[in-house]
Amino acid sequence: MPAVSRGDAMRGLAVFISDIRNCKSKEAESKRINKELANIRSKFKGDKTLDGYSKKKYVCKLLFIFLLGHDIDFGHMEAVNLLSSNKYTEKQIGYLFISVLVSSNSDLMKLIIQNIKNDISSPKPVHVNLALHCIANIGSVEMAEAFGSEVPKLLVSAQANESVKQSAALCLLRLFRTMPDSMTYAEWASRVIHLLNDQHMGVVTAAVSLIHSLSQHSPNDYKGCVSLAVSRLSRIVTSTYTDLLDYTYYFVPAPWLSVKLLRLLQCYPVPDEPAIRGRLVECLETILNKCQEPPKSKKVQHSNAKNAVLFEAINLIIHIDSEPNLLVRACNQLGQFLQHRETNLRYLALESMCLLAGSEFSADAVKKHRETVINALKTERDVSVRQRAVDLLYAMCDKTNSEEIVAEMLDYLKIADYAIREEMVLKVAILSEKYASDYTWYVDTILQLIRVAGDYVSEEVWHRVIQIVINRDDAQGYAAKTVFENLQAPACHENMVKVGGYILGEFGNLIAGDSRSSPLVQFNLLHSKFHLCSPATRALLLSTYIKFINLFPEIKPTIQNVLRNNNQLRNADVELQQRALEYSQLSSITSQDVLATVLEEMPPFPERESSILAKLKKKKPASAQALEKDEEKHKKSPASVENHVETKETPPPITNSNSVDLLGLGTPAAAPETNNTNALWDVFGGSPAPEEQVIDVNMSKTEENPGVPAAGSEPPTTAANETQYLTKFLFKNSGVLFENDLLQIGVKCEFKDQYGRVGLFFGNKTPTQLNHFSASVTLTDDQQGKLVVATQKEAPSQIDGGAQVQHFLNMECVSLFSDAPVLRIRYNHQGAPHSVSLKLPVLINKFFEGTDMDATNFFGRWKQLGQPAQECQKIFQAKFPIDASSTKLKLTGFGIACLSGIDPNPENMVGAGIVKTKDLQVGCLLRLEPNQAARMYRLTIRASNGVLSQTLCDLLEDQF
Amino acid sequence: MIKAILVFNNHGKSRLQKFYQHYSEDVQQQIIRETFHLVSRRDDNVCSFLEGGTLIGGSDYKLIYRHYATLYFVFCVDSSESELGILDLIQVFVESLDRCFENVCELDLIFHVDKVHHILSEIVMGGMVLETNMNEIVTKFLEQDKLEKSEAGLSAAPAKAAAAIKSIDLPSLPKDLKLPDLPKLPTFR
Repeated sequence: MPAVSRGDAMRGLAVFISDIRNCKSKEAESKRINKELANIRSKFKGDKTLDGYSKKKYVCKLLFIFLLGHDIDFGHMEAVNLLSSNKYTEKQIGYLFISVLVSSNSDLMKLIIQNIKNDISSPKPVHVNLALHCIANIGSVEMAEAFGSEVPKLLVSAQANESVKQSAALCLLRLFRTMPDSMTYAEWASRVIHLLNDQHMGVVTAAVSLIHSLSQHSPNDYKGCVSLAVSRLSRIVTSTYTDLLDYTYYFVPAPWLSVKLLRLLQCYPVPDEPAIRGRLVECLETILNKCQEPPKSKKVQHSNAKNAVLFEAINLIIHIDSEPNLLVRACNQLGQFLQHRETNLRYLALESMCLLAGSEFSADAVKKHRETVINALKTERDVSVRQRAVDLLYAMCDKTNSEEIVAEMLDYLKIADYAIREEMVLKVAILSEKYASDYTWYVDTILQLIRVAGDYVSEEVWHRVIQIVINRDDAQGYAAKTVFENLQAPACHENMVKVGGYILGEFGNLIAGDSRSSPLVQFNLLHSKFHLCSPATRALLLSTYIKFINLFPEIKPTIQNVLRNNNQLRNADVELQQRALEYSQLSSITSQDVLATVLEEMPPFPERESSILAKLKKKKPASAQALEKDEEKHKKSPASVENHVETKETPPPITNSNSVDLLGLGTPAAAPETNNTNALWDVFGGSPAPEEQVIDVNMSKTEENPGVPAAGSEPPTTAANETQYLTKFLFKNSGVLFENDLLQIGVKCEFKDQYGRVGLFFGNKTPTQLNHFSASVTLTDDQQGKLVVATQKEAPSQIDGGAQVQHFLNMECVSLFSDAPVLRIRYNHQGAPHSVSLKLPVLINKFFEGTDMDATNFFGRWKQLGQPAQECQKIFQAKFPIDASSTKLKLTGFGIACLSGIDPNPENMVGAGIVKTKDLQVGCLLRLEPNQAARMYRLTIRASNGVLSQTLCDLLEDQF
Repeated sequence: MIKAILVFNNHGKSRLQKFYQHYSEDVQQQIIRETFHLVSRRDDNVCSFLEGGTLIGGSDYKLIYRHYATLYFVFCVDSSESELGILDLIQVFVESLDRCFENVCELDLIFHVDKVHHILSEIVMGGMVLETNMNEIVTKFLEQDKLEKSEAGLSAAPAKAAAAIKSIDLPSLPKDLKLPDLPKLPTFR
């Protein structure tokens, strides 16, 4: 049966196309097209009304001209006219022209919408479908407004035929994407979900796509889809290929639908119900089993379809991340694909393995394939695949294999494609730093990195190596020696000169004992590169020279000559001029002592997040995330690694090529002000905390206070019910802390990062003066060193009758503490001594900072913090009526960010935050599950530091 | 979501372009050129997925393509689509074309742009997959074709006659159609 009659419809069009194809040159083609455009224009403008057929023909010609890459600026009106034709084909062409050529802001939109309205209510399904297609293709806000309520009706109507339902589902999806918030179909939810049970597989396929998007937006409304999706999936995977007939594609039953269902299931956590969960696991096992069966066809389409399902199943297994057996099987399956002859499969296997490497259950299984992956890096012909191999090596790297992996990556870097070099450099830098067991290896690696791929080494990377060398005494001598050797190469990269200049300027003295690297040799070596370098590097070298004057007074005259050379003093670059002039003056007029002080060795850099990591995150959010995961894993592990990880998070980029302040002429704190050109904030790792008068509270003045009654007569202490006062301050920062007949104490606190400021307001309630008033804070042994409290403004020792005085404290939280500090107040009233002890409302939660994250992120982190020691759980009776909004208010007051739309159960509260202390920052996740019926709560807190989860749990227990 | 579907030949001549997100005409042409440069440089035995188009999407987007004889079929998709699934979809599209045109070749795509669009719209709608069952796709297309013929039979006769007369003016119509026979798409069993 000849499917389509070729050529007989619209002969004019065929002729025109042939003409174009026969054109010998571009000019001839343009000429022919212009002639045709003129012809069509005149027809459209002509007095004679064109019949539908001609209009259709000309519109088709315009479409063809458009396809050739020419702008079409007329004909839109005629196309719109075609929409109202009662002939299907004319309508169809009209719609086609509009969906290809009319932009959503066209002034014809009103007319188009009117025509769509007519068609969408037509009794003929083909017309309805045309209209739905047009809505979906344009998908503008206007469309969403006009049809947002119409389309869902078609979707769930009992009369609509299958193809209309199918189109309506996708049309709705498109409109939903355009205006997600105004289109919540909560009232349709259950009917939409039940489309998963539709007889017609096409409807199910379309519906799954719709439900997928809707559940991402409002998971709770659509959570019912999980069980239906599982049972649908189960029916598909257990069917034989004859069951689904038309939907079997190369012997694979409904591959597309299976993939979509597996994707949908990744929106939700593993189903809790054992029956559904069991069925799902069974499905996944069946899919894995099927891969081991001999293929039913040798065609690539068969294996593609089968593997499309398999890869999606593996993604779901990774998402579930709690079935070790499945994870390992998945990994083995992927391992087989790594050596498959199909490039596509190798590519996808590498990609999926990256994800598997992040799961604790399969990480080891992934590492077994190290050699294969390294081999892929070397032998793969396709850059996309090699890129994936690099990603995987990065993801599977750990302490045991880091040296080999870094070495392989360095090796490959020499021949790597330009497109991926920069990223590889970042990755090598991060890995070598993270897993450095000794710093000689780290220094070697980075220097080698600069040697083989100097152009791709960004500022961050070489800043970083300098930070580490400066902060680590044990690496300095070696670093100096190695850079010196590297600089001896006849051609060395400018980045090497920068690193070399900086390090020799600081630590050149460490190798000066050897005659082969005597001061003069060092200087001559550096100076031989001077003329080849950019001004920024030269500026850095000038700073090195002045440092040399301090380190090696014996070569001072040589260096002064260089500084005073006209090449420097009259350099066109004003920065160089200034440095040369100032340095030469500095070296000639100041005494040796002053010089030594000014040019002292750089102080260690403050610790901060690695800027390299930040850069990678910017470039590749996904892979950086993988590393972050990793990092958190490391934080979990006990002290031995800790030390290591800490250094990796250590210093920020130190120098900025434009404003290298090797001298440290200003103090680090002053520098940001004196010199605010570039990312100076980064240069010194943020300004150090303003110095405040920190007094140790132990030496508080109570003891020496005159007028305190003599020993032996301890004043009557008002036993304030400390805890009762304290609990209400868990959730707020101001209020009345204490009150009795004589005295009222109000408190107001502010917290920012690890710093806190507490204002105390003492009110004398009596008409007479209180004298010998004193307030002091005592820290328990446990709190010593963890919390620093300083009095910023002290209350006067007399408080007049009815007056209020103020007392301000500054605090810094150094590390985690568990109990509140105690405030002790003494005063005399009418000659009688009084004393009050209260707990200050300063607990670790005050140093919380809420963090926002999405569901995937949240659950990912939640899983990572899965060790028993990191979790603390309490179950307790509700003390107050269970009310979501007040609970939320409390949690927010507690400092944690309440995250909505994360937990599939809307009753549950989840939150996330970071406790910021000077020494460490601890991420913390919380989940509070109320049980209305039993009037109970279950509180779970996970933090990378187990003590913190315990402390927070204790604080929050019985507060709801 | 599928952002765009492009079909072009080995010389980069566009044979089908369908964007599911609005781009101005200039940008569309640029995207086609860029995609052609990315894809045409690649050997036939390398993998069918590649990242790196700058105009569409950015890092979340992949080009998934297949090369059949003289034509490249390129789908530009985001990460919510399964790569192999899209490869299958390309195959479904091509097989559907093959069945609707009976051994489809590049010329069919040139002379029947409208029909190709209609077939595509049975498979993908607004960037999402509508139907994957080839029988269904072909049936719907044939229904439309029948409808077209019946409509044409009724009222287009005069117009057709006029067109036939007009075409006499063109001196070398038969020669026009003497186009090089393009290699057929791989046959499917």
